Amino acid sequence: MEANFYDFLDRMRNPASLDLVRSIKSFIVSISFYAANPENDAKKLQDFFSTMEAAIVEHPLWEAATAQEIDSAMEGLEKYVMTKLFSRTFSSSPEDTKMDLQVSEKIQLLQAFLKPEHVDIPPFLCNEASWLLAEKELLKINAFKSPREKLLCIVNCCKVINNLLLNVSMSENRVLAGADDFLPLLIFVTIKASSSLCHFADHSICANPPQLHSNLRFIQLYRRQAKLVSEAAYYFTNLVSTKSFILDLNAKSLSMDEIVFEENMKAARQKNKLTPKEPLSASEAMKISQDHEYQVPSEKMQDKETSGSNYPYMEAEAGDLTVRDVEILLSTYKDVVAKYTNLSRAVRRHPFSKTEIPVPRVEGTSDTLSQLVGTGAPSLPGG
Amino acid sequence: MGCSSSLPDRSSGRLVGPNLENGGAPDSKNLRVKLVLLGDSGVGKSCIVLRFVRGQFDPTSKVTVGASFLSQTIALQDSTTVKFEIWDTAGQERYAALAPLYYRGAAVAVVVYDITSPESFSKAQYWVKELQKHGSPDIVMALVGNKADLHEKREVSVQEGIDYAEKNGMFFIETSAKTADNINQLFEEIAKRLPRSTAQ
Repeated sequence: MEANFYDFLDRMRNPASLDLVRSIKSFIVSISFYAANPENDAKKLQDFFSTMEAAIVEHPLWEAATAQEIDSAMEGLEKYVMTKLFSRTFSSSPEDTKMDLQVSEKIQLLQAFLKPEHVDIPPFLCNEASWLLAEKELLKINAFKSPREKLLCIVNCCKVINNLLLNVSMSENRVLAGADDFLPLLIFVTIKASSSLCHFADHSICANPPQLHSNLRFIQLYRRQAKLVSEAAYYFTNLVSTKSFILDLNAKSLSMDEIVFEENMKAARQKNKLTPKEPLSASEAMKISQDHEYQVPSEKMQDKETSGSNYPYMEAEAGDLTVRDVEILLSTYKDVVAKYTNLSRAVRRHPFSKTEIPVPRVEGTSDTLSQLVGTGAPSLPGG
Repeated sequence: MGCSSSLPDRSSGRLVGPNLENGGAPDSKNLRVKLVLLGDSGVGKSCIVLRFVRGQFDPTSKVTVGASFLSQTIALQDSTTVKFEIWDTAGQERYAALAPLYYRGAAVAVVVYDITSPESFSKAQYWVKELQKHGSPDIVMALVGNKADLHEKREVSVQEGIDYAEKNGMFFIETSAKTADNINQLFEEIAKRLPRSTAQ
C-alpha cells in the first residue's frame, strides 16, 4: 500500500507533473484563506479530488495508465493532501470534541458492567482472542492521518469479526445469523477496545476519547466519495450505527433489568468520580492510543509511574525501536515542534514577556509530508 | 432456523477483482445495486442471501461472502448484468432505530418475514411503513415470506402476503432458504424491476 504513495511522490517529482504539483500546492494554500468549516472544506476537497482525477486521466504521465494506476495516484493524492490539512480537518470543531467526549464518557460507564449476554452475544461467539484482534485493528485508527487508512482500520476490525462468524459457522456447523450476530459483536468490541486502552495506562488516560465520532466524521467527509461504497461503506455504516447505539443506549437497550441497569450506571458514575481524570488534548490522546497500539516498549512502560512521564519511550533504547515506532516518534516529535513553535510565538507576542524563547530552526515544520515519510525528504518540488 | 445445513464453501473468500473495485464504473449495461435486507431476527434473512450467493454456479461471477455483507452479480437475458451489494441489518428490536443508516441510498429493500410467525409479519409491515416514510421514493421493495417449506406450521396465509404487497405496490414471493425454492426468482424479479436510470 505504501508503495503506491512513494510511486505518487515519484511521479510528482517528475518535471512533467509540474502543473499538477502547482494545482495541489495552490489548492492547499487557497483553502487556508478561509476559516475551517467541515462542510465547506469537504465540498472543496471532494471537488478538488474530482478535478484532479480528470486532470490525471488526461495527463501525459498517465498516458495509457490502467484504471488501477489512476486510482492509486488518487489514493496518493488523498493521503498527501489530507495529511497536509489534517489539523484543519480532523476534529476541528467544538461540536466534534464535545461528541467525542460524550461517546467516550458513555463507553467508560458501560465498560464497568457490560457483559456479552447484555447484547445477546451467544456464548459460542465469545472468543477473547478474536475480539482482542478486532480491538487492536480498531485502535490503530488513530495512528493514521489519511481517510483511506483510517477506513481500512475499520474494515480490518470488521473482517476479524466476520471471520470469527464464518469460522464458527463452519467448525460448529451453526447457522450464520448475519447482521443479527455481527452488529452486537462490533458494539461489544468497540466498547472493549476503549477499555483495553484504560487497562494499559494509568487512570487519567481513561478520560481520553479514542475520538470515535471525529474519526467517523473525518472519513465520511474526506474519503473520496467514489471509494466510500460497497463493502467498505457497509462496515463504516456499522461503526456509525455502533456509535449511535452507544450514545442513545438506555435501560431499554439491553437485556438487563432496567433497575439493575440504572444501579450499574450510578455505580459506574460514582466510581469515575472517585478517580478524577484530567482531560488531555486530542493530540495527546492520539499519541497515547498509538503508543498503546504498538505497545513499545512494553516492559519499559511499567516504569512510567516512577519516571513521572506519560511518554512511553522515555526509557527506550534505540535498539528496541521498530520502523513503526520511528513513524510514531516522528509524528510525536512533529507535534512537539509545532507546539513549541506556537508557544514561542505566543510568548514573544505577549507584551509583558521580556524573555525571548528561540524558535528551533526546523525547515518547513508545516511540511508534514517530508516528515511523515521521513526518508530522503520526498517533498514536492516547485514550492 | 430454516437455513440450509450445507457448510459454507471454504474457497469462497473475497473474490472481488480489482477491476470491479477500481474504475469498474457501472453503466447502463452493468448495474451496481445496493440492496438492504430488513426483517425480524430469526426469519432467515441471511439464509436467503447465502443461498442466493452460493447458488450461482457461474464460475466467472465474482462474489463476496461475508457474514453480513455479500455481493453477487447476475446476468440477465438482455445481456445486462446486475451486481447486488447486499446489506444485512440486525433484526433485534433494540437496533430498529439504526435501520435508516442502512437503507439510506438503497435501490432495493427486501423485507422478510417468517410464514410461521405472525409477529414477524407485523414487523415486516412496520418496515414497509418506515421505508415509505423515510426510504428513497423510487426504492424497489419486495415482501418475502420465508420458510415456505414449513407448511404444517404456517400462520400467515399466502393471500395475506399477496394482499399486503399489492396494497403497497410491492413485489411478493414466498421462499424457502432451506430448499432453495424461489430464491433465484426473487433476485431475478428484483433485477427486472430496477429502474435503469436510478440504479447507481
